[in-house]
Amino acid sequence: MTVTDRENRIREKIRSRCDEEVELEISLLRQRKDYFPELDYFLDLLSAGQSSSVIAGRVGRPVAALLCLQAPLELFQAYGLHPFKVFGGSQAASRLSSPSLPAVMCPMLRSALGLLQLDSASAGDSGGFAAWVLPTTCDWAVKFMEMMANCGQENRRPVHRLELPHLKDRDESQGRWLEEIYGLRNFLGELTGRKKPDRGALARSMAVYQKAWQVFTELTMLKRAGRLSGPWSVVISNSFFFDDVQKWMAAVEATLPKFRERPAAAGPEVYLAGSPVFFPNLKIMHLLEDAGLKVVMDDLCSSERLFPGAVFFDDPSEHGLLKALAQRYHQGCLCPSFADNDRRINNIISPSHKALYRGVVFQVLKGCHPFDLESMTLERRLKDEGLKFIKVETDYTSEDSQNLLTRLEAYRRTLDS
Amino acid sequence: MGYKIGLDLGSTAIKAVLVNGNDMAWRRKVATAPGQDHLAMGLVKDALEQLGLAEGDIEKVSATGYGKKLLSSVGHTVDEISANAQGMFILSGGKCRTIINIGGQDLKVINLSDNGKIYDFRMNDKCAAGTGRFFEQVARILDTPLELFGELSLKADEALELNSTCVVFAESEIVSLLAKGARKENIIKGLHYSIARRITHLLGRQQTGGDIYLDGGPSQNPGLLDALEDELLMEVKVLPQPQFTVAFGAAIS
Repeated sequence: MTVTDRENRIREKIRSRCDEEVELEISLLRQRKDYFPELDYFLDLLSAGQSSSVIAGRVGRPVAALLCLQAPLELFQAYGLHPFKVFGGSQAASRLSSPSLPAVMCPMLRSALGLLQLDSASAGDSGGFAAWVLPTTCDWAVKFMEMMANCGQENRRPVHRLELPHLKDRDESQGRWLEEIYGLRNFLGELTGRKKPDRGALARSMAVYQKAWQVFTELTMLKRAGRLSGPWSVVISNSFFFDDVQKWMAAVEATLPKFRERPAAAGPEVYLAGSPVFFPNLKIMHLLEDAGLKVVMDDLCSSERLFPGAVFFDDPSEHGLLKALAQRYHQGCLCPSFADNDRRINNIISPSHKALYRGVVFQVLKGCHPFDLESMTLERRLKDEGLKFIKVETDYTSEDSQNLLTRLEAYRRTLDS
Repeated sequence: MGYKIGLDLGSTAIKAVLVNGNDMAWRRKVATAPGQDHLAMGLVKDALEQLGLAEGDIEKVSATGYGKKLLSSVGHTVDEISANAQGMFILSGGKCRTIINIGGQDLKVINLSDNGKIYDFRMNDKCAAGTGRFFEQVARILDTPLELFGELSLKADEALELNSTCVVFAESEIVSLLAKGARKENIIKGLHYSIARRITHLLGRQQTGGDIYLDGGPSQNPGLLDALEDELLMEVKVLPQPQFTVAFGAAIS
């Protein structure tokens, strides 16, 4: 596809605005009282952007792009690939993709499509992801490649879709999902020229991710205690895919003593649920702080749902490991695209969790329909439990900040009363 | 006991009240314009002069509204939802359980518990549909003073259907109706019903029983009140000074 000089100039202008957004957010983060130099590792990863070639160079192996979190990351590592979850938190990047997309759509994917256009312009044929792995979660994710084509981006890389069973708690679904995981294994095998990794590679990869999950859990506990603030929690979790998992894990471990030293923040504790939060759009995190609310828990796929949790297996054969991964990544997932998602709500209102927070803030990004739909059910269930709930509907622009702050300030008062 | 001053810096007007105990002893408003700090402090000065008070007689000055952070000399601020709740509960003699507030650029529904605390609330997002700003735009399109809307709508023989409360879409819809020869009175009545439906939608299942009160500038419009009562099938009450409840609430908070 021929790109005109004008289109090139528009692209470069948007790239420059994306850089400005990143610089502004990083500057805000560095000025915070709870900033310390060990956090620069994460800021540097995020400020370098989502360039596929930069990430591939950093991790030293081909990068496979993912859209959602249902494909076991351990499999990619076992095949010598680096999994990278594509996301977008840039409002400026959305301007590049918007002309070719529906007016009302998921702001995160709109932004991601804009960032991909910027990446493909700079990476050319030598860059780009080695492959795309797309679990069929929400409608936006299902239509992602079509939207990418409509944005004028030709994808020459292999695409593998994982057909996600939207009913979790059925044996048939589990069986079908295991077949999908086998399909992914075969796809990665063909892609890398390895018929299958040796069982040791998969077991080692699983051990690495389990260790990463444990380190991440330690970090999460510091958030529960009010020592890790909401914005830093997002920064650290968002940067997860930008480097080798072991290096990221070591960087997280380096921050733990620093966060432990910090005094616990003041303010009512809240549970943040709903649409994900992605750098550099930390608007909701800053507004929650401005309103005096302290995020101690969340179930965002950009944050605490990054890892599906402990993977248990009795059978150490390849089948046993794949079965354990399939089960954990499917049944442990709380994505609202599932039809039977009571587990998500039960998780929020479980007595052990309820004791940790005083109210739930539910963020819906406009156009993110599954979360919007689920918010109604959650509101009813929480209110039945006598819990405080507020839904804030927003997008990546900043013009509604004052309106949102007013609501969050009033919500805080309801938690105080 | 000292006097308290409450300032509500809204998007269309700055309201000030001086409160003695729970009595609104003085009130005034000015249109919002650049230099809100100066305008608000001017109101404080007016209050002191007219009541013959000195600065030392004032126990506390509190600010609320979108411009509350713009006041350099006011240390105490309160969010407008909480201020609205406190003000309305006291001024209604503890009877109010649901507030419908139409502000310059937002629409709020606030539910109160029996002790006047906020039980729940909803607010429109950044869209100005159905707010005071929307009324102003329609007044401009119809070339009719906003103050006459209530009186004119009561003279209507029908409420014309307006499908949108979006400022942009409503403009083309109203222009189209005018071009077809529709009476202004009927358009205004239709406008009131479309806003009443929006409020009813926002109210949703939130009603907790008890009295419903409407406040904010547009609550002085009897045509809107009629439409709202008709849509809700409930009595909606309006206090004598509905534009000052939020400033009053800030003062006593």
